[in-house]
Amino acid sequence: MKALITAAALALTAVPAVAQDAATDITFTFAVGQPTGQVMVALYDSAAAYGGSGAPVRVARVEASGTVISATFEDLPAGDYAMKAFHDVDGDGRMATNPFGMPTEPFAFSNNAVGNMGPAGWDRAHFSAAGSVAQTINLAR
Amino acid sequence: MIPSRRSFLMGAAALSAAVATPDLVRAAQAAAATPDWALATADVETDIAPRALSLVHGRAPAGLEGVLFRNGPARFRRPGGSARHWFDGDGMVRRFAIGDGRAELSARFVDTRKRRQETRLDAMVMPGFGTPGDPRAEIGSPDDANAANTSVLRAGDQLWALWEGGSPVALDPVTLETRDYVTLRPDLRAMPFLAHPRIEPGGRIWNLGMGGDQAIVWRLSPDGALEDASLIPLPRASYVHDFTATERHLVIVLQPWVRERQTMPFADGFAWRPETGTQILVLDKDDLNRRRLYEAEAFGFFHLGDAWMEGGDILFDLALHRDMDFAARGASEVVAGMPLDSEPAHLGLMRLKADGSTELSRLAVIGEFPRSDPARAGLMRRLSVHTTGDHTQTPFAQAIAVTDWSGGQTRRFDFGADHVVDEMVYVAKPGARSESDAWLIGPSLNLTERVTELHVLDIADVEAGPVATWRADVALPAAFHGIWAG
Repeated sequence: MKALITAAALALTAVPAVAQDAATDITFTFAVGQPTGQVMVALYDSAAAYGGSGAPVRVARVEASGTVISATFEDLPAGDYAMKAFHDVDGDGRMATNPFGMPTEPFAFSNNAVGNMGPAGWDRAHFSAAGSVAQTINLAR
Repeated sequence: MIPSRRSFLMGAAALSAAVATPDLVRAAQAAAATPDWALATADVETDIAPRALSLVHGRAPAGLEGVLFRNGPARFRRPGGSARHWFDGDGMVRRFAIGDGRAELSARFVDTRKRRQETRLDAMVMPGFGTPGDPRAEIGSPDDANAANTSVLRAGDQLWALWEGGSPVALDPVTLETRDYVTLRPDLRAMPFLAHPRIEPGGRIWNLGMGGDQAIVWRLSPDGALEDASLIPLPRASYVHDFTATERHLVIVLQPWVRERQTMPFADGFAWRPETGTQILVLDKDDLNRRRLYEAEAFGFFHLGDAWMEGGDILFDLALHRDMDFAARGASEVVAGMPLDSEPAHLGLMRLKADGSTELSRLAVIGEFPRSDPARAGLMRRLSVHTTGDHTQTPFAQAIAVTDWSGGQTRRFDFGADHVVDEMVYVAKPGARSESDAWLIGPSLNLTERVTELHVLDIADVEAGPVATWRADVALPAAFHGIWAG
């Protein structure tokens, strides 16, 4: 129970945007508890990358200028995706943790999936995207 | 009906009536004479609305006014899956209010995220102390698995339901309605908070949260505001359910049940290493870096009494277990309705001597759930209140006792084999002039009438039994710990 989730498991790695040749747009609308800091978002296109052995296909950093904000990833190939996000409430660019390593800033996954003593797995978080897809994600907890 | 060895024996005896052997007849007679103590870990389906209790014996002592809050697991089983350990049921807070000679009872489940998830799935899915958990469980924080089932704490105008692996959960002390998980500081969200805070007579609250070979030391004002939180290293990753304190020290007993693996259920990560003995870490409240480590013989324990000083020595009473087999195995069997075959805990008195040595006195007295006068917490005292009872088949007590450490004698009242006696609290009489001017207040589960009772005993004449007993029209299972709010 003590080491459920480590910040490392949720770390978001920045990668250069890669040009895509299809037209799938994915929009995440985030509900946050307080309009401070920023929301860090990472989108993955494979279970392996999502699980930590690869990089996200897109990342975004959205100022939390209100309690409802959104991030859109445009021109992606149709396919399966999953997303990780956290609300960097204090704006220091890092997922804050308590002294025992548990995250203290809100985090979420696509489908609003919740893990089982760890980040939500690809099996719970992935979704199929073709055309325009939108999800509302709760980061207000 | 819970499958039990008793029902199996009775069934076997009935089936073989035609070929009844003396052994079978004896077994059937023994089973028939044994009350159905499975009621002590039975499920409660819904909250218990406020109701008057009926006075069935004696009368309420003049001047007795207040509320006994107690917490304990009250839901273990659901159609899609059940908790496998006594410690993993859903916390239900009981409120026994006494005033104007009358008594009232209400009880509510703590509205935890765990309980909401399990209600939705109609299955107990959360891993816990002794429950492996179900893959369907959604756990993004320790508080998602928080059963809020172990004790309660008054913090200002709130009542906190306590677990030990996550945050307190704040309740309304009158309606018992759940408010929210308590975050004492944003950077300490979801840090563990033991169910055994030590409260100074002036109201300051000390507590620990365990994280393997380190702990957080919480210091709160009487209204529950955070005064300080410090991380301390520990010499071993021992299982710590309770600690104790003098007016100047925190005393952390590190039994040789040590966490060696990160796994679930939680208890499966621990190993019993008696060859390493018990370590006792004493910290100075004014400077947590000032520490002293004592070595003692190996014993298991859950509960300690309040500590005090005699010269340069530190003393405290405790409920000594031979090992932690009950935690690892026994509490699972109990919730499955199986009789125990383990040795019950006995009372002991530990002396940490000024010269650095230790002396453990073992009493030939079965005892658990030690309590004492909250106004003497950390100070010299004579009396401990505790449960007792001779039977080894269940972890439940049938008697309550007072042990006087000045002479070492124990006085007791036995409610009989058809009662499961909960922990009782020490309540000073108005204008009390000595430590024995007090009442003992606590419930029992009457297994014959199948109802919960509330008892008041006079600590000076505990052998005489209750001066007042009220009876409810419901049966609540055995609970763990409680407090008196006068």
